[in-house]
Amino acid sequence: MKAVGARLPRYDGLAHVTGRTTYVDDVRVPRTLWTKALRSPHHSARIASLDTSRAEQHPGVRAVVTHEDVPKNVYGHLEALGVPGDEPLLAEGEVRYRGQPIAAVAAEDEATAREALELIEVEFEEREPLFDIRKAFDPGAPTVHEWGPAFPHFGPHDHRRVRKGDVDAAFERADTIVEGVYRPGAIEHVPLEPQVALVVPEADGRLTIYSCTQAMYFSMGVVAQHLQLPLNRLKFVGGTVGGGFGGKVDTASETIAALLAVKAGRPVKWRWTREEEFLASSTRAPWHIELADAVTKDGWILGRRTLTLHDAGAYTRFSSYGLTKHAFHHSGAYTIPNVHFDGYVLYSNRVPTTAMRGFGVTSVSYAVELHMTRIAEVLGIDPFELRLRNANRIGDTTPNLVVLKDPSTVPVMLAAAERVGIELAPEYRAMTSEPRSGELLPEHLAGAVSRTNGKEAG
Amino acid sequence: MAAFGDGADVTVVAGGTILMPELTYGRLQPARALLLTRTGLDTMRRENGTVHLGATLPVAALEDAPEPLASAARHVADPEVRAQGTVGGNLCAAHAAEAPRGDLQAPLIALGARIRSTGSGGERTQPVEEFLAAAPTGRLVLGIEFEEPQAGAWAALDRPHAHDYTALAVSACRGADGSDHLAASGAAPRGIRLAAAEAAYAETGDAGRAGRDAVRDAKFADDALASTWYREQMLPVLVGRALSQLEEAA
Amino acid sequence: MNLTVNGVEARLVSPPLASLLHVLREELGVTSPKAGCQQGGCGACTVLVDGEPRRSCLVPLATIEGARVTTVEGLGRPDDLAPVQAAFHEGYAAQCGFCTSGMLIAAHAYVERGGTDERGAILEALGGHICRCTGYAKIVAAVSAAARGDVATQAVEASYEPVPGEPEVLVKGSPA
Repeated sequence: MKAVGARLPRYDGLAHVTGRTTYVDDVRVPRTLWTKALRSPHHSARIASLDTSRAEQHPGVRAVVTHEDVPKNVYGHLEALGVPGDEPLLAEGEVRYRGQPIAAVAAEDEATAREALELIEVEFEEREPLFDIRKAFDPGAPTVHEWGPAFPHFGPHDHRRVRKGDVDAAFERADTIVEGVYRPGAIEHVPLEPQVALVVPEADGRLTIYSCTQAMYFSMGVVAQHLQLPLNRLKFVGGTVGGGFGGKVDTASETIAALLAVKAGRPVKWRWTREEEFLASSTRAPWHIELADAVTKDGWILGRRTLTLHDAGAYTRFSSYGLTKHAFHHSGAYTIPNVHFDGYVLYSNRVPTTAMRGFGVTSVSYAVELHMTRIAEVLGIDPFELRLRNANRIGDTTPNLVVLKDPSTVPVMLAAAERVGIELAPEYRAMTSEPRSGELLPEHLAGAVSRTNGKEAG
Repeated sequence: MAAFGDGADVTVVAGGTILMPELTYGRLQPARALLLTRTGLDTMRRENGTVHLGATLPVAALEDAPEPLASAARHVADPEVRAQGTVGGNLCAAHAAEAPRGDLQAPLIALGARIRSTGSGGERTQPVEEFLAAAPTGRLVLGIEFEEPQAGAWAALDRPHAHDYTALAVSACRGADGSDHLAASGAAPRGIRLAAAEAAYAETGDAGRAGRDAVRDAKFADDALASTWYREQMLPVLVGRALSQLEEAA
Repeated sequence: MNLTVNGVEARLVSPPLASLLHVLREELGVTSPKAGCQQGGCGACTVLVDGEPRRSCLVPLATIEGARVTTVEGLGRPDDLAPVQAAFHEGYAAQCGFCTSGMLIAAHAYVERGGTDERGAILEALGGHICRCTGYAKIVAAVSAAARGDVATQAVEASYEPVPGEPEVLVKGSPA
């Protein structure tokens, strides 16, 4: 335990402060080609024709790839977990978001690659895009995917359901219903290091892939699937990331660079510009969250109904996973004995969305905390006291029936109150995470608390 | 000046802060480039009540210029960009689609500056508003001059970050002859004179009235920095602040 | 074209309007200045040109013929750090490290011209530099320490393997 409490220098600190850390863009391999991608200028369009022949003949161009060059074009980041893939590596027949890659060029230098893009002939038939997921179910709303507006693979349902207790009874018993709509927006991660990959075809037939990914084994799987290569043909080099924040969980640049490297037989680097990063890299998802809580006038939450709409953007990627986390955390740090949750992953013609710092949970925490304060205002109760009374304690159960063994809501809130100088009444100051009893175990919670206080799970 | 000629096909490189991203991103491929480095145009002289600025004077050097130019210059970008960007480049900046540029246009309008430039038809000196109205392509700025004002003041919306362009700023100036002048950045695609506000203030001395009249000269637009609505609300406020600072400074 | 980069004279073949960033990274292989945005907006490419901090992505090569250029590689070595480098290392002021080169150059120039540990002045000097990891508190603290001369320039070699029998304190100046 010598490390606990000691000031350990960062193992990479000296390299950072002397400019010696090697990020992907700093790796130098002779004869490396530059990459540029032709990206969709439209949010939604049919690709009527695509002709790369003039670009291929441009002096200095060493490879041009389209969907025809991809051994398995359509894949999904969660396919290994049984979620069917829906995203083409390079657009085929249609584009579903502005910035979607259609073709890519590897050339001797950046300017040549850019010139070659100008020589790719592509005709679009524009379609009306869908941006507002609240309209996804409207008759006549623009279609993003032919199977429907929602991700259809939550078991037998087209949405994630959570059911616990008897919500109808809770709403009948309530003194007041408090409703709220919360809409956290999309956020671009803006890592200072843009997406970048360097792929080197080795003499033994392997590809060495220098990657800025945050998720090495995901990326390895994605590249292997699209290129239909066994994993032992791929050597990933990573670990040094110039900022990710979730935005480098999706495999963004390695696969197309690998495809070009194989076709050209040369090392290929693809570094996105800052503009591409803003245009086409995934963002945190926008969410639409509707909460309705059945509350008593003395500050107990008897039940909650929730409708969540998650904007996946044009393709699923990790959205179904993010929504599931969201669903399991939708009571926040509080115990609610009766919940009814429906959550939809909906498609739009926006850039695909992904993880960012507390994937799926941040959005619902934002909604829940605003809603708790709203309840306190409606009831005229101190917001700290409302939260402390309903705070998770040992033996309480989450919406998906996990019995809590070591919840930290109470001590964290007491510490926070002390730091900001809020004077709590003595009975609140004395609260702990210990199992509910007495006044903190009202009749409506009696059936919802584990009789073993979570000890069986230990 | 001979190298510039009539300016056709010539890309002028002064500080490079606006030009270089255009080159890097391949949006501009100059046929001919004219470098203004070491042309000796990077000086500021103050003599006989007149201030002379060379076209390639770095924005950072304007921190020693009279108000409202000094304050406006201090709020351009960050120390590195101010040390490299030039007053001539800032004056001639084409307004970008995403936000108004040319933060120094308004203070120079308020100061009644004259622009000395060359190009087709030779050298000429004209008021900054006239120069800007003619769209400065085809002209090479050589220098800028204005009379030392009695007092100047500058009021602006705070920027969330150093690299944001000015969302809205008001320059106020009391000239050598005692007349008051007002101009704004961010209220139109380029810096504009607030003529109605100037007239109202001259007539009534009422800063509130001047503020309300100021919106008459504005051509607001929604952009990434601020909405038309917000600018409409804030322009009168900033006019009021600038005029009250001006009275204090005078 | 000629430049002196970190004390070494270089003859260059890049075109006159190539950016200094391009020349450093792609022609000379000096990779500490980073191509974060290539439009002057992030600060990660900042280098010293004749002692003054400049955005290398905005500097056309032809405008600095013959200049002395210093990057982080030229500020100090692991066994002989410049005060700002030691302060950043000791104060954990580098997180992902991508903004660090530019931050260090701006901070070094600030300290060299006699900048104090006054917070407002440090914020102004670093105003053009984005740390997306949002490590600003530690960065400002490190620049303050360097401005006060409150750093050990002989940093201890990094080691994250606790050595049996050795004191736990591995960084000088840390609380015992």
